[in-house]
This record gives sequence, C-alpha cells and structure tokens, in this order.
Amino acid sequence: MSEEEKEIVVKIKRFSKEKGSWWQEYKLKVDRFTQMTEVLRRIKTEQDPTLAYRASCHMAVCGSCGMKINGEPRLACKTLALDMVKKYGKNEIAIEPMDFFPVIKDLIVDWTDFYNRMFKVKPRLYPSKEVLEGKAEHRLKPEDQRELWKFEQCIWCGLCVSACPSVKNDPEFLGPAAHAKGYRFLADPRDTIFDERLKILIDSAWRCTYCYQCFNVCPRDIEPVTTIKKTRAYTKFLSEKTPVALTGEKHADSIAKSIEETGKIEEAKVYISTYGLLTAITDMIYAMQNGKLKYALVTQKKVKNMEQIRKIIG
Amino acid sequence: MEKLSYDAIVIGGGLAGLMAAHEIAVSGYKVAVISKVFPTRSHSSSAEGGIAAYIEGNSDPNDNPDYMTYDTIKGGDFLVDQDAAELLSQKSGEIVRIMESWGTLFNRQPDGRVAVRYFGGQTYPRTRFVGDKTGMALLHTLFQRVSGLDIDFYNEWFALDLIRDDKRVVGVVAMEMKSMTPVFFKARAIVMATGGMGMLYAHSTNAYINTGDGYAMALRAGAALKDPEFVQFHPTALYPSDILISEAARGEGAILINNKGERFMARYAPRKLDLAPRDITSRAIITEIREGRGFPGGYVGLDLRHLGEDYIKERLALAYEAAKNFAGVDATQEPIPVRPAQHYYMGGIDVDITGQNPDLVGLFAAGEAACVSVHGANRLGSNSLLETLVFGRETGRAVAKFLSEHKEEDSNSLDKEAEKVVDDAYKFVKSESGVHFGEILNKLRNVMWEKVGIFRDEDGMKDALSQIIELRKMTSSMYVLDKSTTYNTEFFNALELRNMLDLAIVIARTALERKESRGAHYRTDYPERDDTNWLKHTIAYLKGETVEITYKPVRITRWKPEPRVY
Repeated sequence: MSEEEKEIVVKIKRFSKEKGSWWQEYKLKVDRFTQMTEVLRRIKTEQDPTLAYRASCHMAVCGSCGMKINGEPRLACKTLALDMVKKYGKNEIAIEPMDFFPVIKDLIVDWTDFYNRMFKVKPRLYPSKEVLEGKAEHRLKPEDQRELWKFEQCIWCGLCVSACPSVKNDPEFLGPAAHAKGYRFLADPRDTIFDERLKILIDSAWRCTYCYQCFNVCPRDIEPVTTIKKTRAYTKFLSEKTPVALTGEKHADSIAKSIEETGKIEEAKVYISTYGLLTAITDMIYAMQNGKLKYALVTQKKVKNMEQIRKIIG
Repeated sequence: MEKLSYDAIVIGGGLAGLMAAHEIAVSGYKVAVISKVFPTRSHSSSAEGGIAAYIEGNSDPNDNPDYMTYDTIKGGDFLVDQDAAELLSQKSGEIVRIMESWGTLFNRQPDGRVAVRYFGGQTYPRTRFVGDKTGMALLHTLFQRVSGLDIDFYNEWFALDLIRDDKRVVGVVAMEMKSMTPVFFKARAIVMATGGMGMLYAHSTNAYINTGDGYAMALRAGAALKDPEFVQFHPTALYPSDILISEAARGEGAILINNKGERFMARYAPRKLDLAPRDITSRAIITEIREGRGFPGGYVGLDLRHLGEDYIKERLALAYEAAKNFAGVDATQEPIPVRPAQHYYMGGIDVDITGQNPDLVGLFAAGEAACVSVHGANRLGSNSLLETLVFGRETGRAVAKFLSEHKEEDSNSLDKEAEKVVDDAYKFVKSESGVHFGEILNKLRNVMWEKVGIFRDEDGMKDALSQIIELRKMTSSMYVLDKSTTYNTEFFNALELRNMLDLAIVIARTALERKESRGAHYRTDYPERDDTNWLKHTIAYLKGETVEITYKPVRITRWKPEPRVY
C-alpha cells in the first residue's frame, strides 16, 4: 500500500463575532487516507490553534463534524481530502459552516432550532406498561428489526436540514431528520402512542416538496424523504385532518385517478380536483398576468396501451 | 460567579452518565448532566460489537452467570474484584431487557428473540448486538429515554475542576463553551462519567474528545486512581486511520493472516486462535510485524471473505464501510489492513461496587472513568457497554441512597475556591508568547505510544517519565493565541492537555513500578505474572509532581488464580 503525499490548499471560511467573516488559507501534505477531520486537527495543532470546529468520533457515527466541503454538506470525517481533489480536479478545498444554522464561530453553528425540532416528535419508544415492568417480552421479527434499524440510524448530524429548502421556507415543516426519527417510532409495533404521533407528523409530512436533497446528503443513507412518503401513507388513519393534509390527500387521489383514466398526469385536471375550481381560476388569472398560462394549456397526445397500465395499477 | 444548586451533578453524557442520571431523576432528586458535547456525540456511540449478557432462557443451555464471571476474571488476569464481576454477570440479562424495552433494536433470531454471537474470551457466546453499531443504538435509546425526564442538560459545557472541603466534594466549576461563562454548580453528590483517555496515545480508536478529563479532575481533588498502569490496546484498528474494526468480525469467523498467508494466532493461542483476548492478540500482531511477517507500512490482514457478501454487509456493516471509505479496501474481496491501537482504559477513579470513592464523601464514578474493578488487567470485549449500564445504574441508585442520608451542609465559604479554579485555568495558559498546546500534545502522544505502550521496559518508561515531567514544565510557558470569549476551543484544548499530562505522569509512574507482566501491562524485562508480589491493586495519588503509590488487595471470592492460557 503506497502512501504518496500531496500538498493541498485548504480555504476555510472563518467567523468571529468580533471580526466578522473572512477566508483563510492553509497548506499541508496529505495522503490517500487523510480524512478531512484529520486535516482540521493538523491545522489546529500544527499551524493555527485558533481555528474552531467540532469533531468527535471520526468514524461517522457521532454526527459532530457536519460542514460544507466544496459546497457539499458532508461529514468531515467521512470525506477523504484526496477524494475531493479528484472529484473537483483541483488541489484546493473550500470549507464552510453548514447552511441554515446560525454560525457561532468558524465552523461551529448553533443547533438549538434543530434539537427543538427533534424533540417535537417525541423521539423515544413508549412501550406498554407490561413490557416496561418486565411482565411481558417484546418479540420483533428480524425483517421488522431490519426495516426500523435503517431509519433509527439517524445520528442527528443536521446535514439534511441544512440542505432542505422547505425548512427554510415553511416554519411548520419539521424537517427531514425529525421526520425520520418520528417515522422510526410511528412504525415500531412496540410503541403505544400511534395516534399522538400521527397528529404530530402528518400535516408536516405534506409540506415536504420531495426535492431529495436530504436523500443525497445523508451520511448514513437513511433516506429521510422515504420516511416522509411512508408517513403520508398513514394519513387515512387520522381522524381530524388539517387543510394541508386534506389538500395533499386530495392531490394524491386525483393523480391516481388521472393515471387510471388517461395513463398520465393531466396537470390541469389534477390541479382543479386538488384545489377546487375557484382557486384554480384565481391561480389561472395570476398565471396569465405572469405570462405562464401557456404551460398549463399544452395539449398532450393520448396514451396507448391503457389496458397494460390499468393492469399494473391493479 | 453565578451559582446553581442541584442534589447531584453527573459529569459526562455517555451511557454511564445518562444511566446514573436516569436513576437519580426517577428517585425524585434534582439532577443535572454536564457534558462537553451533545450527549449523542459521546464516545459510547463508537462502541461496535455488542454488549455481553447471560439471558435466562435465551443463552446457551450449558451457560450460566458463573461462567460469565469466570471468563471476566480470567480475561482480566485475576486482577478483577470478583464481587464486582459477579454483580456484572448477574445483572447483565436484566440490563439488556431494560434497554430492549426502551426501544433498542437488537438483532433478532428468527423467532423474534434477541440474537447472540461470540466474542473473545467467552466460553459460550453471550454478545448481544445491533449490527456493529451497538454503542450508537444503545446511546440513542438511552438519551432519547432520559430526554423525556426532568433532567437539566448542560451540553457543550466544559468542567474545569471539582470543589471540595476537608472531606466532601461540594460541587464543580464548569464553563459554557459558547459564552465562556463559568458557573459554580453546587451539589451533594458528583458522578464522574467522563469516559476514557485515548488521545494520550498517538494511535487510538477513541474519539477526539477522550482526553482523560475526569481522571485528572479527580486526581487534582485528591482522589486516587486505581490500577492506572493498565491500558488496553485493540488488536484490529484499521490501517492507517485507527478506526476500530470490531472484534465482532473475529466473533463472526474472520481470521488474522500475516504476509505469508499464515493464520498466525495458532502460534500464540492454540485453542482460542483469533478469539484470544485482546492483549494476547495485540502482542501477537506486533510480534509478527517486528519479525518481518507484516505487510509494508506495518500491518496484518483481517480476512472476512469466506463469510460472504450478504453476511458481511448486514452483520459487519460498519467494518465493511470503514474499510471501503478509509482504506480503499473491499472486505468482500481482500483482507482488511489492521494493526493494534490504544482502545480502552482499565484504570480509573477508585470506586467500590456502588460507584463510591473512598477518598471524598459524595464523589462517585461510573463507566470507563471508574475502576470498579470488573476488567482487571485486561477487559473482555462486550463488557464495557455492559459495565456502563450496570454500574451506571448501581451508581445512580447509590447516589439516591446517599442523598437521602446526607443533608445539605453550608458551603458558602467555598466561593473563593470556585473563583480560584477559574483563575488557575487561565493561569495555565498565562504567557504572552511561547508554545502552543499542539506542540506539547504531539510529543506526549508519541512518547506514550512508544514507551508506555504494548511492550514496556524499565529504561523506556524512565525516559518517558522524565519527558512527561519536562512537558508538564513546558506548559508553564504555554499561551493561547485566540483571545475570543465565544467558543474558544484553543483554550479548552489547552485545558484538555493539562488533564492529559496529569494523567500521563500517573500512568508512567505506576507502570514503571509494577515489575511483572499481567494482562495488558506487558514488561519485556519481567515477562511473567507474579502473584506472590503483585496480585494487588495499585492506588495512586497525585501531589504536584509526585505520584504517591499504595496498594490494596484484590477481592477474591470463589475463583483462585490460575495460569492464563487460551
């Protein structure tokens, strides 16, 4: 195993409340095994002790070292310096604090809002009294264990939230990490507060725009967006639905109906049956004023082989 | 300085600390947890392979808690307190049941019961696991559980020092890292659950945050460390980043091979082979490398290939992922490059089986910060997670009992002491120019690795000791470049270095004194275990530059010392 060293330039976006923000450059030699946490540690111990960042386990299980590396939200420990050099074709690596969270100092951001979101979903199992007292035993099928474990592996690193556009625009949206955590308990057959969890999660679940940024950046591959989809499927179990959830449900139904009837999503029809005629007309006037109406009026060809499509949807 | 008052303060938010806090809170006492990281960032999250437990009705039919106790005692080379090991074994099944009932997603057998696998030094398989992320699974379960209780969390607060009067501990001074504001936390009981100290060694599987803070705080407050010379090295850390490749790999059947393709463990542990305890396996690997049978760069191979791709990816996901991401090796296709690295600290704050320290009234410790002692001279794999929870709970209960018996006494006269703690911390880095923490730190880590490591001898350790004394002197001309009063990590790193040096001098001094080889403490100049002179615990106090050493007997109940062969 050869260990050829290469000199890289690391540009770090610094911040302090006294001095504001500035970029600072460091040079150091790395080899093909050097993790970005090690790059930061060496800068701090050998070159500039004033650099502030968080890091703990250096093996991608504690979630401390989230930051932006060459613009991508990543765990520094799970990022090898030379992989970044190879990917971007230059030996200069730019490091910035994560987006969305307020910066406290250099790469250290404020987590308060993130933790509040996580705690909102009651992130803990509420087992039955019998089990808690040791009078009954939980048995869990290996396949249930595997399914839940996928989503339990959220390490609260916050990368998905920093990458999520909906969180920034919609204060009612809990964000991908909280949804992953919420679903992990919603789907656990050992839990006893299913109804309460539904009430917390459903409205927010319909506020996700399915952009898949959380899916892309999650260092544990837990697919937060998948948990949101799975949570939406529980909407039918909720007795009192919020307007957002009702609209969402209507939207999903009308898409299904449109595909069943025509083999495709007829957007104008779906729009009308989701939002009602009145809203559709108001929105149409708005679209006309902005010159976008032509996109809503595109005529499409009919789909052939409708029989096969109906067979697939059953 | 602001003062806050609690019944008990737990320092450290890993498994031991959270379990202790849980017990104190459910007993109705006001408790706070002070942690320098958010609790799920604690080093407990890095534990991989599993938690040992004898579970009635779900263990090998021939097994029983006595075998488990015996394995632990033998694994610890008979330096284990046998009453503590018995308690550990007896409570193991219940602890796993509790964690399961709180939601831990243990791997399952086809019938839905908790699954089990072998670990090194076990007569029968007892390790319960969640893939190879058992620590992470347990830590999240417990943190999530206690976050629903009435406990105050002070996350990202750095504990500076304990405050004591003549005989009692009365509180701790800690600083909010974000604002650098110091606060005097008054309490009748303090639980040190500050974890280990891997950063003392150049090669360690530990988190960056493991800097031995608790040991040093206890030493400075006048409490003793027990068996500080015993440092565990894990045989299979990934080359070269020292990320742990869990012993679960060998538990599942992986084998160690040298550059000739030989299964070399046959030479060192003919019966247990690759599942020999960690001290034996670590020395075997270093011997192979030193005698020219390692691979260039200094490592051996850990071969998983015969286990098959599906099995590897489910049961050893982290090992597979780490090898791929950090060494560029596909473990389904080629052996993983591994070498030993510091992994665990058997020594710790001297406590009994209730977690209580005999030197200071009100001082308790649990988890890796404590030496109960259940690990003796060498800890068996899967026993550390078990210890954190079993003794975290025992300690929490003992604290509740202690609180019911000890009323609050006036300690207002100690405000000056609290002020002095903050002054001392700033004085430690008082120079206007000179050395930075990094220079001293790197030297310390290298000397500990080279001279107080896997193989030890008198000359090396004498040299190490004088270098450590020299480094401690250097800290008087250390300074902090960063003058900011927001999250000044340079200042905290310097304080961590002070803690590391206070511990290092105790380790080197006590290791030099123990003239025998036992468990992880291996002396090339005294290669045999010597029960006649050394079947006893080291008890060490730190007084300035002097380490005062006394000894106390090992508690032996039913298992007489015998030769340790595997």
